[in-house]
Amino acid sequence: MYRVFLSWRFLRSRRTNLIGVFGIFLAVGALILILSIMTGFLEETRISARGSLSDIIITMPPYSDSRRPRDPAPVLELLRADERVAGASAHLGWMCILTRQDERSLRILVDSQMSEIAGIKLTGIDPATEDNATEFRPSLDRAGRNDDGEIEAPRVRVANLADPFAAPPEYDASVGRPRASVIVGEKVMTYHGLRRGSFITLMTAVPDPASDSGWSAKKREFVVAGCFRSGENEIDIERVYIDRGQLARFLSGVSEDDALPEDSIHFSEVLVKLKDYERDAKVAREAFGAQLFRAGLIDESCSIRTWEEFRKALIGAIENERVLMGIMLSLILVVAGFTIFAILSMMVTEKRRDIGVLTALGAPPQGVLVLFLLIGFWDALIGALLGAVAGTWMALEIDPLEQKLSETFGVQIFNREVYMFDSIPSVVTPLAVAAIVVGAFVCTLVFAAIPAWRAANLDPVEALRNE
Amino acid sequence: MSESGDFVLRARAIVKRFESGDSELEILHGIDLDLRAGERLALMGPSGAGKSTLLHVLGLLEHPTFGTVDLDGRDAWSLSTQERARLRNRYIGFVFQFYHLLPELDAVENVMLPAMIAQSRREFRLDRRAHLAKARDLLSNFGLAHRLKHRPAQLSGGERQRVALARALFLDPPLLIADEPTGNLDRDTGELVLDLIFRAQQERNLSLLLVTHDVRLAERCSRVLRLEAGSIVGAVSGRG
Repeated sequence: MYRVFLSWRFLRSRRTNLIGVFGIFLAVGALILILSIMTGFLEETRISARGSLSDIIITMPPYSDSRRPRDPAPVLELLRADERVAGASAHLGWMCILTRQDERSLRILVDSQMSEIAGIKLTGIDPATEDNATEFRPSLDRAGRNDDGEIEAPRVRVANLADPFAAPPEYDASVGRPRASVIVGEKVMTYHGLRRGSFITLMTAVPDPASDSGWSAKKREFVVAGCFRSGENEIDIERVYIDRGQLARFLSGVSEDDALPEDSIHFSEVLVKLKDYERDAKVAREAFGAQLFRAGLIDESCSIRTWEEFRKALIGAIENERVLMGIMLSLILVVAGFTIFAILSMMVTEKRRDIGVLTALGAPPQGVLVLFLLIGFWDALIGALLGAVAGTWMALEIDPLEQKLSETFGVQIFNREVYMFDSIPSVVTPLAVAAIVVGAFVCTLVFAAIPAWRAANLDPVEALRNE
Repeated sequence: MSESGDFVLRARAIVKRFESGDSELEILHGIDLDLRAGERLALMGPSGAGKSTLLHVLGLLEHPTFGTVDLDGRDAWSLSTQERARLRNRYIGFVFQFYHLLPELDAVENVMLPAMIAQSRREFRLDRRAHLAKARDLLSNFGLAHRLKHRPAQLSGGERQRVALARALFLDPPLLIADEPTGNLDRDTGELVLDLIFRAQQERNLSLLLVTHDVRLAERCSRVLRLEAGSIVGAVSGRG
């Protein structure tokens, strides 16, 4: 009976215990808040890392010596026949340099520090089938923040959603020959000062065995039909969508209206969307690989990956960062535990005589040990519970809190433009909160055990002489 | 009844040595001591004679180098730490020169402390009313009815010693050990506290082991042992 009673009395009578409680409160609260933000970050990044990626990506090197069919039709046909597949679409990807024929654009070519945009990833798609397989369509009217950081209402970024590559009304088709349209990333649009109807010139090189160097340069002018917002900085800053057939014509060097030559490059990857990704992803990936290989539609140079495998490095890096951050922040718990150690050590010294009295009255050493452990337990209980409540609340209310703090101090605490998040991502997982609270308890009790052990081993006679 | 049945405490051949650097210092040289039920025994002697050390050995606070201490018919120093703590709790009441009350507890709580140590939380909760009534009765008998809720810092020296006496008597132990109980009190207050100790001893038929320098106080005991340089050099009968 005395252990609980006295531990509580000792705790209440020593104000210094509040420092220990506060330390645990701070450590638990900070850990929950930061891990929640990092988890939210991870979730958001997973979502935005998908960008226009589909569930399964089949990559095929377009210029290999393979006898694979050049046309994606048989691959798409086989995949669409599978009942697990919701949609499939072929892409043709190519790296280009974007210029506007002005001084700034030309500087890109001589920018040794690559401080300007160095290149553009030109992605040829089939707008008609793309909706079934990728996030292309939603990116054309996704809500976002404007340059002032205010949330914009969703707005359509192309002239015609049904036919996104149609020439925009701003384009005067009578000027020169008709040009193919492109849809550029929102950041490409802003960076190059483009508008709907603007002209851009794309330059690239393609393998050409007939040429002395083995390469031949290609250059063509396109008209901007609009822009898209994937929500992922990396994509919005370097991707330009184009009709797959037009890209193939550009790379083959034939005119926009001409038929494609037999040996031209038609596609470099096939994107597949599954009806139930979580359930089927792994099995379907294996099955598709086997079926396509048997049908002679892919060879060893091709790869089939789920979108998570495709973005493994990025997701892995953030997950790694979260774990590292957790480990580093756990040091706060160690510091809080050390505070408890210091306070309890002080208390044991101060209460030597009382420990002697308790022993004289019949308290065994184990009882004294438990008594001082209980003081650490109360510290941990109050600190961890308050910290868990405060940390969870802050994690759930981080956005309004951040805005209030930013307004109060006149500084922008979280720059939404950097990560292109509309709000600070934060996900509170009960398991993580429980793990942090348990960690705080373990840490406190380990640190409390040292002074408690010292108290239990005090010589009662020495303690009673301590007058 | 066996030969030892009448004895509350029997100590045989108590030797206590302390290590001091490379040498050993013997404080007690084989002391034999018996205390019968209801007997008042005073232990006197000059400072450094080993009175306190003997008291601590007999009170189960300090391990003797050799010798046995029989309490309640058991060799107390051969018991486990846990059992010895229980024996100390139930069998011995301590009154110290410096009162040694816990400053965080009020008078009633200090008095109930031995019961808190003896019982589990559940047991104590069941007996709480009885404990409270007993603690109040004891304190009221010692003239502290108006001080029940006061903490030690709010009490005078005499009042603190009376609370300490009530605490020592709370579990009705057969043995009361008092180490210079009036050493820190003025003459009148000391007399008052002594009267209470002797009255309680008589009413409860306690065995009292008293360490004192005060000859007048020793004379009120039934037997006086004189300890010098770690040995008992004389035993006289007192008037008490």
